[in-house]
Amino acid sequence: MAFEPREPQKELKYDELRIYTDEELNNYTEEELKDFKIKHDIPDVEELEKGPWPSFVADAKREALHRRKLAEDRMLIERDVVEDLLGQLQVSFDDGETHWKHGGIVGVFGYGGGVIGRYSDLQEKFPSIAHFHTLRVNQPASKFYSTDYLRCICDLWEYRGSGLMNMHGSTGDIIFLGTFTEQLEPIFYELGHVLQQDLGGSGSNLRTPSCCIGRARCEWACFDTQDMCYELTHYYQDELHRPAFPYKFKFKFDGCPNCCVASIARADMSFIGTWRDEIRIDQEAVQAYINGEIQPNAGAHAGKDWGKFDIEKEVINLCPTQCMWMEDGKLMIDNKECTRCMHCINVMPRALRPGVDTGVSILFGAKAPILEGAQMSLLTVPFMKVEHPYDNVKELIEKVWDWWMEEGKNRERLGELIQRWGVPKFLEVIGLPPMPQMVKEPRSNPYIFWKEEDVPGGWKRTIEDYRKRHVR
Amino acid sequence: MEDIKKAILDFAENSKKTKFYFSDMEKAVRKVIPDAKARAVKKAATELINEEKLIFFSTGSTSMYGLKGRGQTEDH
Ligand code: HEM
Ligand code: HEM
Ligand code: SF4
Ligand code: SF4
Repeated sequence: MAFEPREPQKELKYDELRIYTDEELNNYTEEELKDFKIKHDIPDVEELEKGPWPSFVADAKREALHRRKLAEDRMLIERDVVEDLLGQLQVSFDDGETHWKHGGIVGVFGYGGGVIGRYSDLQEKFPSIAHFHTLRVNQPASKFYSTDYLRCICDLWEYRGSGLMNMHGSTGDIIFLGTFTEQLEPIFYELGHVLQQDLGGSGSNLRTPSCCIGRARCEWACFDTQDMCYELTHYYQDELHRPAFPYKFKFKFDGCPNCCVASIARADMSFIGTWRDEIRIDQEAVQAYINGEIQPNAGAHAGKDWGKFDIEKEVINLCPTQCMWMEDGKLMIDNKECTRCMHCINVMPRALRPGVDTGVSILFGAKAPILEGAQMSLLTVPFMKVEHPYDNVKELIEKVWDWWMEEGKNRERLGELIQRWGVPKFLEVIGLPPMPQMVKEPRSNPYIFWKEEDVPGGWKRTIEDYRKRHVR
Repeated sequence: MEDIKKAILDFAENSKKTKFYFSDMEKAVRKVIPDAKARAVKKAATELINEEKLIFFSTGSTSMYGLKGRGQTEDH
């Protein structure tokens, strides 16, 4: 399906919207950077630059130098903001505690999320970070941008904020790090009215939904992750911006069980693409892999010599349900035993492909919070067909929200509520019968409790009658 | 709607705490208007926010509501 925007999309032209000249953007040399020292002494912070990975400290120093060399009237918050940020971090290393405090009331008018208020408790020493509020900017589905758009938001943030940003936070959003209260409304106005860009979720809201790259580039996508993410983001705008939940709630959309946005580990409601027919097999391509004509894993592990490809060792024996075998030179799969783990498909993408009767599995309750510790989401709906405008999905979402809003304690995630009440209660709420797919090891863990009305013929024995004969 | 808004304001003015969770506000409304639905309470709260009578309060991970002018009002 071609992308249909909810409202007409403007074409942003950087040359019309830009704030800085090319000279201002490229205002220091690598030589100057080598000699550059920020105004605070930060020995422990600088240790972080010595590791094998690129360091945010090195990036922050570039930005600090860049701001040093911009003219005073070309930035609306103080130029020292980056230097003070690093300086305060050093103090935190010295003291072994944070020097940030919450700023609960800051935000933009009418929105209960999207801005996270922070203040320094060392404002005299570090005045330029007295306020250091963060904005979450709702990323587009799959994070596709035009360079014009990126340059526009970079200019906006240099001008009205610290110039420091995350592309992207683990929430999915673009994160603008650090500005003063007075700048929040102007930034919100520029984002909304000029750049056609909304803030994302924070607090007890629906958080910014996020999806894998899906059908835009990936042939494994079993549903249109981008379309579903876009549709549900728009449909649930009120939930995104105006908090009424007991705590945060996240949707994430993965087109297949490879789970590139890790929905299974991070979303209260994870949508994972799957299929219910058979893995498509091209037997000629299987032979080509066996004969070494096609590189396994699309050449991803070609950097080292792993020896000749061995289908028995690398595919068949690694199938978690042992449902594959070779028969008369052909690869066979017992599809009813396959758990859709993607392993064989990942190794031999030209020989094996997901089936054609595709949809989603829906899982609930992943979280990584303080109370009960990290938890993966629980497979609840093994298979559902999904088509725009996703009415069946919305109906399910609302049943879950109604229950959680009614029964959830303050700061209790959906996964914790399910643990507290038990899965059978949750299934009752969403109106699903228990199924073997919901149980981790259905052959060894048959803990599904039946009610009399669920069992044909019911049962006549009562516990009272039993206890008469077997006293406790 | 107006009666829900009034119930919210009564609660916001008189509750022991100056910041409260949505669910506590909802429970307080239900004491006065037993059949008030969560969605209706939310709509009423949103109107009160837009009328600048209520404010949002958020730590980043959790959100609460408060009465404008009561308790901590400066943004420090
Ligand atoms: C020919 C004789 C027997 C056969 C074929 C037999 C077979 C089985 C089987 C198939 C199970 C189920 C295992 C599972 O959970 O997958 C089982 C469980 C059990 N059996 Fe037996 N059994 C026999 C005799 C007995 C006797 C004589 C006793 C006790 C005096 C006994 C006590 C138990 C207990 C306690 C369980 C576990 C029940 C539970 O998990 O709630 N069995 N038996
Ligand atoms: C001091 C002695 C005993 C202790 C401490 C003990 C403890 C336990 C515990 C902790 C369980 C697991 C309960 C659960 O997780 O659901 C259990 C289950 C069980 N025990 Fe015992 N037990 C004792 C003696 C016995 C004896 C003497 C028998 C049989 C004659 C017995 C038969 C069973 C059976 C059949 C179960 C399975 C019940 C079910 O899964 O519904 N136990 N026991
Ligand atoms: S989750 Fe699956 S469909 Fe989505 S990008 Fe990853 S491999 Fe492709
Ligand atoms: S997808 Fe996984 S479970 Fe299914 S056949 Fe391939 S390796 Fe086995």
